[in-house]
Amino acid sequence: MRVPLSWLHDYLDFDLSADELVNLFSLRSQEIDGVYRFGVTEGDVVVGEVVEFGPHPNADRLFVAKVDLGGREVQIVAGAPNPYPGARVAVVVPGSVMSDGTTLREARLRGLQSYGMMMSERELGISADHGGILLLDDCYEVGRPVAEYFPVGETVLDIDVTPNRPDLWGMIGVARELAAILGTDYRIPEPSFEAGGKPTHDFGLRVEAGDLCPRYDLRRVSDLEPGQEAPLWMRRRIYAGGMRPINAIVDATNYVMLETGQPIHAFDAAMVRGGIVVRRGRAQEKITLLDGSTRVLDEETLVIADEERGLVIAGVMGAEDAEVGEETTDAVIEVANFDGRNILQTSQKLGLRTDASGRFERGLDPNMVSYAMDRVSALLTRAPGGRVADDTLSHYPEPVQPWRVPMRLGRAELLLGMPVQVDEASGLLESLGCEVERTDGRLWATMPTFRRDLRREADLVEEVGRLIGLDSVPEMLPAVPQPGALTEAQQKTRSLRRLLADLGLSEAITYPFGPERWTEDLGLEDGPIGIENPLSAEGGYLRTSILPGLLDAAARNRAFGARGGALFEHGNVFFSDVPQDDLREAALRFRMTGEVGAQLAEGLMGVREVSRIGVVLAGTVRPAGWNVPEFRAGFFEAKGLVERLVPDARFVPTERTYLHPGRSAVVMVGDTEAGWVGELHPEVAGRFGLDGWPVAALELDTALCQPGPEPRFEPFFNVPAVARDLAVLVEERIPVGDMLCSVRDLPGPLLTEVRIFDVYAGSPVPQGQKSVAFGFTFQGEKTLTDEEVDAEVGLVLSRLEDEFGARVRS
Amino acid sequence: MTVSERIEQLKTEALSAVATGVSTADLEDIRVRFLGRSAELTEIKKSIGTLSPEERKEVGRSSNLASREIEAALGARTEEVAAREQEERLRAEAVDVTLPGVPSQRGHLHPSQIVIDDVVDFFVGLGYRVAEGPEVETDYYNFTALNIPEHHPARGEHDTFFLDEGLVLRTHTSPVQIRTMLSQEPPVFVVCPGRTYRNDNDPTHTPMFHQIEGLAVDRGLTLAHLKGTLAAMARHVFGEDAEVRLRPGYFQFTEPSVELDISCFVCGGTDPNCKVCKGAGWLEMLGAGMVDPSVLEEVGYDPEEYTGFAFGMGPDRMAMVKYGVPDLRLFFEGDLRFLRQF
Ligand SMILES: [Zn+2]
Repeated sequence: MRVPLSWLHDYLDFDLSADELVNLFSLRSQEIDGVYRFGVTEGDVVVGEVVEFGPHPNADRLFVAKVDLGGREVQIVAGAPNPYPGARVAVVVPGSVMSDGTTLREARLRGLQSYGMMMSERELGISADHGGILLLDDCYEVGRPVAEYFPVGETVLDIDVTPNRPDLWGMIGVARELAAILGTDYRIPEPSFEAGGKPTHDFGLRVEAGDLCPRYDLRRVSDLEPGQEAPLWMRRRIYAGGMRPINAIVDATNYVMLETGQPIHAFDAAMVRGGIVVRRGRAQEKITLLDGSTRVLDEETLVIADEERGLVIAGVMGAEDAEVGEETTDAVIEVANFDGRNILQTSQKLGLRTDASGRFERGLDPNMVSYAMDRVSALLTRAPGGRVADDTLSHYPEPVQPWRVPMRLGRAELLLGMPVQVDEASGLLESLGCEVERTDGRLWATMPTFRRDLRREADLVEEVGRLIGLDSVPEMLPAVPQPGALTEAQQKTRSLRRLLADLGLSEAITYPFGPERWTEDLGLEDGPIGIENPLSAEGGYLRTSILPGLLDAAARNRAFGARGGALFEHGNVFFSDVPQDDLREAALRFRMTGEVGAQLAEGLMGVREVSRIGVVLAGTVRPAGWNVPEFRAGFFEAKGLVERLVPDARFVPTERTYLHPGRSAVVMVGDTEAGWVGELHPEVAGRFGLDGWPVAALELDTALCQPGPEPRFEPFFNVPAVARDLAVLVEERIPVGDMLCSVRDLPGPLLTEVRIFDVYAGSPVPQGQKSVAFGFTFQGEKTLTDEEVDAEVGLVLSRLEDEFGARVRS
Repeated sequence: MTVSERIEQLKTEALSAVATGVSTADLEDIRVRFLGRSAELTEIKKSIGTLSPEERKEVGRSSNLASREIEAALGARTEEVAAREQEERLRAEAVDVTLPGVPSQRGHLHPSQIVIDDVVDFFVGLGYRVAEGPEVETDYYNFTALNIPEHHPARGEHDTFFLDEGLVLRTHTSPVQIRTMLSQEPPVFVVCPGRTYRNDNDPTHTPMFHQIEGLAVDRGLTLAHLKGTLAAMARHVFGEDAEVRLRPGYFQFTEPSVELDISCFVCGGTDPNCKVCKGAGWLEMLGAGMVDPSVLEEVGYDPEEYTGFAFGMGPDRMAMVKYGVPDLRLFFEGDLRFLRQF
């Protein structure tokens, strides 16, 4: 809501700068989105009379004028040709400051001295018109400051009105609010006019869709002078209020809307056939609106029609057919109240939001109609000189009555956490327009019907609190009757993230939705869940894997010159879990109302979310240094991370569409699949813009990771350990991991450590075999003898011989 | 020359050789020359048996004495020379200490997560638990249970992503509060961090962002508790000097509702050209309020017995302010040039 401050001064007196007002309003009422300035912010504008006007001798597009400023003649160079000798103009005096911050100075323009400037409407903040110089009529006296007639500068506050306060969508409501904040009075214009125009009842009024239209008032204003422009003061307020002046009749309706918040529509009476009908749209009914668009209506659209055709999509926009225009001499004025939800739906359906619909959709007070009707009637008797009918047709079957809400002082103090005095509370509620009685220890406030948001005690407490000032609320800490803690799962997630960061990876957070190609490019079979209204096709489906988002990120880094990188992300992936057909109805009920019925909520969600952790190592993760080789992405680099995240994992070769068929494994924890690790299939890497780069990745279910297993003490003895190596030859196909497991499983307690320090195939190892070199550490309760150690190594060897056909490499 | 005189002469010769020996190798040569198996002094000792008894005694004594004296000089000199030699060897091994060390790669946590972890730790310290919920939510939990029924105008402002009928990507973490209250009796003290979604994309809005909401329900909780709790949090995150102020706000599920600003931690409100607060001195930090009685009723709590407060903040925005990041979209691009800065 744009609030021109000069206009606000009509309703109440205050002596506050724009900054002070912004501060006060935001601390007590609503946020201010911006402060705009128009016209001349500092200095003077004087009425002048053009004495001479002609072309500039040295410039084709410039003109020069002699202007009488009341006993003083000045020369002014102008850029527009419209002034003429005898015309009155607004001349800004040198030294004045314009709203854009520039200071106007006396200057020489193409060799001629120019004093000040003759102002256009835009330069004075009256309208957007910059086509010519504003010509004033004769009632502006030469030599007098223009500010005596209308403000030459304007400051406008843009209030960010919250949805619960439709009463602030009009100047009067804002004035009332400011008066309550300042503790002063406000005044509103008393509409007065003489009736005697042509009767409204020449037209009929039939409200067929009463459910969507609680109130509909119609009044005729006849004998209008056609083709009039609204008076300057009104036009400049409409412009400052953010609208466009159109003609005297439309401007009067818009002016009253800005003033009261009540939208008003004017029909050209000559075009209305029979009478006004308020009805639902008909199937396939079409209407061509003022913006030139043709809309197809339906039964949910409320239409204002005459007996023959639709004239207005109620509360949204009128059609061309019966709109008031240059020729209008007889108008029928509609001031109505429509169902806010319906207007919102219609406006959303049509993708059309107007000043009127924006107000109606919040739910307006039907009792506001009468005042707005009188106010617009009074204004129409002025500039366009109309005559107001004696009668008003009105449909208002169920007038809204004020309601009473009790407030306990103790409750207010409890919610606000500060003392509240009864007189203060009652005075504040009264300043908002409530009538307050005190009975049985409560304040009973009778609500003005324009405050439809005040229904309950808590609503009143809020009003009292904010008007006292929330700065008075003290700071206290509550006693929390429980120890705080992260759950085990939360602790685990955090450990996983910290561990990966400690291992040198960077944590990414990517959008969990992407294009359909993600699924295709990875060759996944499960259909992802679609978003019905994605931001773009690039974000139409929920991810079923962390991988594609990280691959996109890697490709992005590559595009900006990175040679590689290591990223991880923790987040959810989403799987469709569509309820059985027979549960469909129960699912819908659960989703809309929370009712679970006999089923478990899980089955009714339709979506399964799984917490995952994903890693992508891409390209040269770390380039070579002078003393270290480069670190490139590869299967074992990724696997090493898995071994930290899931210490008990087993790795089983796997084939997945997106992974290198010979370098990928499923990660097993016991009998459960915890995820996978592998090198990306080069074909898939190419599809993600990573062609030619080695890429290794892994993805694990967070729940199955074990980043910090519970420690368990194992005894050890303070005797020297003995190290032994053993190299064996086995067939090349034998998995070394199996050999390691087998060795570790040996029952002997003396073998404390085993590692693989070399795997080699090729000459001199015989074709089809490989050499595997083990390093063992033995330690016992007492110092081991060579014989004891030999025996242990013998045990290992014989197991390797038995299980894997190994032979000692000689 | 008598044997004794010869011994004396040899000793003098040896001692002077030792004194001029400059390396351990030299000294070893000297030892061999004067005390070795075929050294003259050794030969003299071996020949003692052939001498007369008087001579034998004299030569025996003086030769032993000379040997010991030479040994001692050699030992002392060797120690000295060896120390110098080691010193020289170490000097020769000097490296360029300005060359980079063996790198241990540093990883990075995401700036939003750093803020989330920090805020969560603060609340856990106060005794709060952490509650989480699904990111795909039902219409009921995301809206209706929060006092935003179907067709309510407030829904339009949520820019919701819709999925299958009745399902949405949650537009806030508030449904977690509802789920928490439905699953337990008061007192409730929880914070709910998580990803949330809105159909919006510009430098200050991304289709996904984070929220941390908090909920406290117990007997006697007031707006003053809300203010004190959030002021303490602001000081934890933004420094001891942070001040907070409340402004009226509007949220469907709180009444009274407030907005909470914190004083600008960069200029403290003293710089009219401050880039962070744009001269206002205050930064909008979160929305909050006393839980609406109808929300309490909806989850089966008696609003006459219990009151509560709820608050919601944007950790991404907090990270932007705290670290001076101008564009929210940078947070979700996975760009290492960004991530490595945290
Ligand atoms: Zn600042």
